[in-house]
Amino acid sequence: MDFGPHLFLAMLEGAITAAVLALTAVGLSIVFGIMRVVNVAHGEFFMLGAVLAWWIATIVGGPPALGFVMALVFAPVLTGLLAALADWLVLRRIHYDPERTILATIGLLYVIQQATLMTFGPEARPVEAPFNQRIALPWFEWGADGFALIWPWGLGTTTYKLAVIVAAVMILLALWVLMTRTRIGLIMRATQLDREMAVAHAIPVEKVYAMVFALGAGLAALGGVLTVPIQQAHYLMGGDPLLLSFIVVIIGGLGSVVGTVVAALLIGMSDGIISVFFSPTLAKILATLFVAFVLIFRPQGLFGQRAS
Amino acid sequence: MLNVKDIEVAYDATQVIFGLSVVALPGQVLCLLGRNGAGKTTTLKAIMGLLPLRAGSVSLDEVVLSELAAHEVPRCGVAYVPQGRRLFTEMSVAQNMDIGLMVSGAGRATREKVLELFPRLRERLTQRADTLSGGEQQMLAMARALCTEPKVLLLDEPVEGLQPSMIALIRDVIIRLKSENVAIVLVEQQVDAVLAIADTVAFIEHGRCPETMAARELQNDASQLRRYLGV
Ligand SMILES: Nc1ncnc2c1ncn2[C@@H]1O[C@H](COP(=O)(O)OP(=O)(O)O)[C@@H](O)[C@H]1O
Ligand SMILES: [Mg+2]
Repeated sequence: MDFGPHLFLAMLEGAITAAVLALTAVGLSIVFGIMRVVNVAHGEFFMLGAVLAWWIATIVGGPPALGFVMALVFAPVLTGLLAALADWLVLRRIHYDPERTILATIGLLYVIQQATLMTFGPEARPVEAPFNQRIALPWFEWGADGFALIWPWGLGTTTYKLAVIVAAVMILLALWVLMTRTRIGLIMRATQLDREMAVAHAIPVEKVYAMVFALGAGLAALGGVLTVPIQQAHYLMGGDPLLLSFIVVIIGGLGSVVGTVVAALLIGMSDGIISVFFSPTLAKILATLFVAFVLIFRPQGLFGQRAS
Repeated sequence: MLNVKDIEVAYDATQVIFGLSVVALPGQVLCLLGRNGAGKTTTLKAIMGLLPLRAGSVSLDEVVLSELAAHEVPRCGVAYVPQGRRLFTEMSVAQNMDIGLMVSGAGRATREKVLELFPRLRERLTQRADTLSGGEQQMLAMARALCTEPKVLLLDEPVEGLQPSMIALIRDVIIRLKSENVAIVLVEQQVDAVLAIADTVAFIEHGRCPETMAARELQNDASQLRRYLGV
């Protein structure tokens, strides 16, 4: 393949990484923004989404689309409920103290991981995509007879991969509507802006926290469900999303949702492109290096506001 | 009637309120007067349930507020205008008022009534709270509180740093609320700001309330003022 089509393909792969990453990282971002909790177990919620998707698809049986749709609905809900429980039983009891929440979520990470190993096992298991037609993509060429469309061999994608991008965009739009256009969003933002004043206006902040933690976990789980037809479910698959989400949230500016989405695009696209042309490891190294530079030269992140 | 009885309040290990008692009656202004650091703000936060009591109780009519979770106190009819306003800065004027309206489930009628008290806010409904002038921010802090339809309104230094015209406006609103039978607890450091509208003055000193006087008496007896405020 020539450079042009090759780059196009890499960007497409990058867009899929970016789409899933945006969902996962926005979950981490709202949990940090509203609760000031650094959730080290966030990647495990991603993994749970994928693993639960396998369970659900297996139990439901029937055509792949049915199992997948059930998984898309129930895996995030179950993961969210588990997260709310963890918040209520653990984080609330330690009063969201920053240092202790980090330790507590590290504990949660291992509990979820080992419980998955004991029940789901060490194998990687696939979930079939609801639909998966290959589509060849066109490229253009300036030939002897001028402009022409060609169909280079190997330049293509699948309908499922495109659907992942569309789904991620729709979920992020729904989240935006929730945060900016609904009462519950107003309550969440009030809690974020001034916890004490929120309480003084009858907002039950502990319930809001449990809900936000569930929402954050649910978004990670959605990322996991969308990923599992492309990459199999495995009990250790939460590591990469955790690292990349942290990178994205720091670059975007802690707690800034818009910044997180933009940074997810940036990191996801460059991850896709560098992975295709060089190696996935180099992509991670460069992303981590980029974070180091952001922390040195713009500690509030690209879109964060400087703490006053 | 808001009844604050023998409360003791501490920040972690340091106790700052030592057995303080005051009473606020409907349709009256109770002024908590004291120097910086005397414990006035701490007292208001304790009434709101934002700080736990070590001893004593706070009750409104028959309801013992100090036995409730903090977020249940506003629903019982206590509203708080904190020192420094503490608006939800990234939200619009309308959204700040919405947060207040949600407390009591009040609707359009309440909102209209509050906007009538503060017409300048009506012109700025979509403006972000942190872009308002100081006086407008204070209006919004009061508007947000009044949207909860309170029986008791706690005001912590509401005229701090405001222009005379703004001070007059806030005073008018307080007088109007008095006539509507709201109990008002007004925290101030400067006595001249309150003598005209206060019914009762409670002196706060080192976390105690050694003396409560009718405002009328106070006007004749300047020696009390000198003792507590050093004026
Ligand atoms: N968050 C806090 N932690 C520890 N001590 C505090 C805190 N806030 C206030 N204090 C102390 O409590 C005392 C009373 O403060 P405050 O109620 O704010 O006084 P006032 O409102 O009368 O000026 C002061 O000595 C102050 O230093
Ligand atoms: Mg004060």
